[in-house]
Amino acid sequence: MEEELNQIVASAQSQVGLVSTRAGFEAFKAEITGPNGSLTKVMKGMGQVAKEDRPAFGKLINEAKTSVQALYDKALASIKAAEIAERLGPAIDPSLPSPDSGPGSVHPLTQVREEICRIFKQIGFTVAEGTEVETEYYCFDALNTPKDHPARDLQDTFYLPDDADFANVSKKTDERYLLRTHTSSVQIRTMLKGEPPIRIISPGRCFRRDTVDATHSANFHQVEGLYVDKNVTVRDLKAILDYFFEQLLGKGTTTRFRPHFFPYTEPSFEVDFSSRHLAKLGSDWVEIAGCGMVEPEVFSAVGYDPEAYSGFAFGMGIERIAMIIYGIDDIRYFYQNDQRFLKQFA
Amino acid sequence: MKISLNWLQRYIDLPESPQEIADSLTLLGFEVDDMETTGVPQLENVVVGEVLDREQHPNADKLGVCRVALGDEIGEKSIVCGASNYKVGDRVPVALPGAVLPSGFKIKRSKLRGVESDGMMCSGKEIGAGEDAAGLLILEGAPDLGTPINAVLTDSDTVFNLEVTPNRPDCLSHIGIARELAAWYQRELKIPSTSELPEPSSRVAAESIFSGATVECPDDCPLYRATVIKGVTIGPSPAWMQELLGSIGLRPINNVVDVTNFVLHECGNPLHAFDARDINGGKITVRNAREEEGITTLDDIERKLSSRMVVVADKSRALAVAGVMGGQNSGVKPYTVDLVLEVAYFNPTTIRWVSKTLGLSSDSSYRFERGVDPRSLRYATDRAVQLILETAGGEVCGPEYVAGAEPDWNRTIELSSDWVRAKAGFEISDAEIKSSLERLNLNVSGDGNWTVEVPSYRGDLERPIDLLEEVLRIYDTDKIPSGAVVATATGANDHPITEYAREATRYLVGQHFCEVVNYTLRSGDEQKAWADSVAALPLELKNPISEDQTQLRHSLIPGILETLRLNQSRKTGATRFFETGRVFRESNGKLVEMISVAFVACSVGQARSWKAREADDFYLAKRRAEILAGMAGINIGRFGMTQIEDASTAWQSGQAALVEDPRAGISAEFGLMNLERMKAMDIEGDIMAGSFCILPERLKATKRVQFQSFSLFPSSSKDLALLVDEGELASAVLKTVEKIAQKSTQGTFELESIDVFDVYEGEGLPVGKKSVALSMEFRSKERTLKDKEVNKAFDAIQSAIREKTSFEIRD
Repeated sequence: MEEELNQIVASAQSQVGLVSTRAGFEAFKAEITGPNGSLTKVMKGMGQVAKEDRPAFGKLINEAKTSVQALYDKALASIKAAEIAERLGPAIDPSLPSPDSGPGSVHPLTQVREEICRIFKQIGFTVAEGTEVETEYYCFDALNTPKDHPARDLQDTFYLPDDADFANVSKKTDERYLLRTHTSSVQIRTMLKGEPPIRIISPGRCFRRDTVDATHSANFHQVEGLYVDKNVTVRDLKAILDYFFEQLLGKGTTTRFRPHFFPYTEPSFEVDFSSRHLAKLGSDWVEIAGCGMVEPEVFSAVGYDPEAYSGFAFGMGIERIAMIIYGIDDIRYFYQNDQRFLKQFA
Repeated sequence: MKISLNWLQRYIDLPESPQEIADSLTLLGFEVDDMETTGVPQLENVVVGEVLDREQHPNADKLGVCRVALGDEIGEKSIVCGASNYKVGDRVPVALPGAVLPSGFKIKRSKLRGVESDGMMCSGKEIGAGEDAAGLLILEGAPDLGTPINAVLTDSDTVFNLEVTPNRPDCLSHIGIARELAAWYQRELKIPSTSELPEPSSRVAAESIFSGATVECPDDCPLYRATVIKGVTIGPSPAWMQELLGSIGLRPINNVVDVTNFVLHECGNPLHAFDARDINGGKITVRNAREEEGITTLDDIERKLSSRMVVVADKSRALAVAGVMGGQNSGVKPYTVDLVLEVAYFNPTTIRWVSKTLGLSSDSSYRFERGVDPRSLRYATDRAVQLILETAGGEVCGPEYVAGAEPDWNRTIELSSDWVRAKAGFEISDAEIKSSLERLNLNVSGDGNWTVEVPSYRGDLERPIDLLEEVLRIYDTDKIPSGAVVATATGANDHPITEYAREATRYLVGQHFCEVVNYTLRSGDEQKAWADSVAALPLELKNPISEDQTQLRHSLIPGILETLRLNQSRKTGATRFFETGRVFRESNGKLVEMISVAFVACSVGQARSWKAREADDFYLAKRRAEILAGMAGINIGRFGMTQIEDASTAWQSGQAALVEDPRAGISAEFGLMNLERMKAMDIEGDIMAGSFCILPERLKATKRVQFQSFSLFPSSSKDLALLVDEGELASAVLKTVEKIAQKSTQGTFELESIDVFDVYEGEGLPVGKKSVALSMEFRSKERTLKDKEVNKAFDAIQSAIREKTSFEIRD
């Protein structure tokens, strides 16, 4: 009896190594502990064993069962391991490069625009939008720049043919369509739609009939801001721009106002900055923006009472700011979109 | 506008350096675009010296060692010199240690080939006096030893190129700028006196030469003055005048013409001198031109005029295009003897229109269209007469012929100091406000509530707010203090367009696309190549600037393809680009501006990899377009999708799709770009692209959603394969079956979803047919579905398909 059990265990031990699949394992298992298995048969012989011998016999059987179970576990573990190995394939080489596309990138002009929006949002300005096709009224007349005024020469303009008809750009009367020369038209349309207080910035694409060179482009991008409320002062304007430029160009950035002329502001200023963070520029004053207090005529054009309200407006070129903060020397890089350029700002 | 420093010095003392003056002009509101110094600039430590003797340098054949006398204060110095054009006793410029020459070279005490040199004797070029570098500059006239070189060589001048804003026509002259500097520095302005001229009443009569000026169009020419000068001698103008005119880029012509130019740039008044002999009938008429009237202007161009233009004419012909340019038929010639001098005030709007229409801008028209002060005409006339008499001789005649009258001028503005402080937002004292205004020659009377008198040349000052600008300007805008940021909330959100662009950008960047920015203006050829329908759109500008930028873009994709082509030609390895922006299309017969996002993915171009990846296919492009539309709140699946099967578009026929709904204000295209066209564009690889456009007014801020409860019971699914015509769109099959399935389950449970899971065409199927396999998911909100009820519904669906559709159910 004992010999028989030893035989079964020994045979199982010798055969377990041949088991490599789940089906093989089940057959192997059936041969030993299945209903007709060799070990099952021995166990069935228990009845014939003398009563006094039963405890010893039982012990032997249990030992054999334990041995066989250990073999089963081992076989199953190796089958599972083989299955997983098959599922996984060869090990990775962590040093191999990924064959997939690299990161995408946001265009530097978009990044600068978003940074400007983010800074102004901190102080309560939200983004307003308008169309790129505009009309003479909203681009000029409402901004105190009448026809036949030399100020219109400051912005050489692209016009659309006289019979052009836009369904979603409204006209005041029968004025011509044009491509906006600044985003100030957004300010007019925003004021016409609502009441003060107004606190908006309007980033967007503008157009001027400029020949393309290192610093000019027929289309370019601007951000303009408008603030209308009661008792707004020149000092408030200075405070906002000082805050903005320090956020944008780093602590210690200073600005100065210079008198200037814009038809839509009075008084008007140009803004220079000086920043020690931009080593390329040294300590010189660099022109960066235009601004001023909203011209009372502009308020009249949109139906605001110039006695009750005051406000300021400012504007700056996104390309110019991007060129300054990134140290880019030619505006055409922005429009060529060489990936070696774009990826530098990823 | 060019302004010469030497010329300015005639009206104001300016001891400051050119750079300091430029800074002051800038802070006065006249931006200095550039400045150029000619002649010897201001030099420190460069003085007159005399060579006392010269000895041969012990170690160098070509060098001499000189003893140089520099006057009592400095004494004698020993200087090594390589020049050979001088002799003992010559006086030359000597740069002493500490001097910095115009080239930036710093003079130090040094040893030259072992011999100490205590300075440098200079050539003309080295100190900026001319181009001669061959030898030392030998100074004529024995100037005193030790005299600073600038006191000897005084021909230096600095010319500022100023930007004068359109609101300041009074500053388009040297006196105008000098007046501003006088206010800034609080210095005296010296305006040349003309009081020694004889009174018009005591002048000799001119009738035999000229007998009058009349104006037929007083709106265009409110004031016209003609003065006769007889017996002039035409010749060159004096050197000082030629030099000043030359400094601002004007070519000297003759004494009379030079005086007119000089006075224009001195006072800002355009003037014109006619040869009296050329005025037929001896009378001038200012009138509107006749339609098609011809005149050859001084620039030698024959021009055809129109009736809105104004001419200065005699009885038979036009002599000048008024306010713009004189005619060749009546200008001052070398043999001119008698002159008629015109000083006028023309209507700015008229002159601007004429100048624009003729495409002819002159120093005169530039000033007239910005506005000349009509009350300045008398002085300008007298000043020109004075200078003509001085430089060309002759005699001024009487009377002065004047047509029109000087308009009255009496402008005052009420201004309160409290109001100024309230607008400025900072403390500025009554005295400071008052003095700022007075420095600008504005008379201020009253006490805190002032009446301010505006001089006639400051027509731009009309309201208190205009005076605020003047106060700040003279107070110094750089002194405007900063303050705390006041930030009242307005409760507004960023515009939906902004938010949409941000969301689309984030998505595509996350999908490995690089954002590009392309020009809105495209060439006609490019738009034509895109599609016949695009070529037909009226997207052309009225006044384009160059041939490659004549039309508004109808799509972002052509620009992105251009970007791709450039990157391929430069081998940058780029394959994926996108752009957001505006495009222009037609809708219901009108043009519309739309918001658009477009992406382009190219199958080749990345560096070769050890492991292959599949290129994007149509269905990925479709998914991207759907996601981009979804961000705009649009489910494009709701609209019909048409396969593009037209070889005349930029898309590959049969491999791209179009969704368009003018009522919803959207359109989307996506799929494979036309292979032939890509090849013609020199673009390699298969291009999988897509774009989505929406009318800006259809973009809405996202609304807050309401939660919808969902079933917690398991679903039950059924598959169904249908044999359909090959041309049938999968979406049509899906929709038909979906309707049937919804109907068949109505009231009992729900068809939760239905999807296409397999499409097969080919072997084993009849020709012209394809198999579309659908999987349906059923679910109830109340219970776990039983097989029996689902089977029952499924049977009902199948029999409905058999009855109502042409689809054949496959087993």
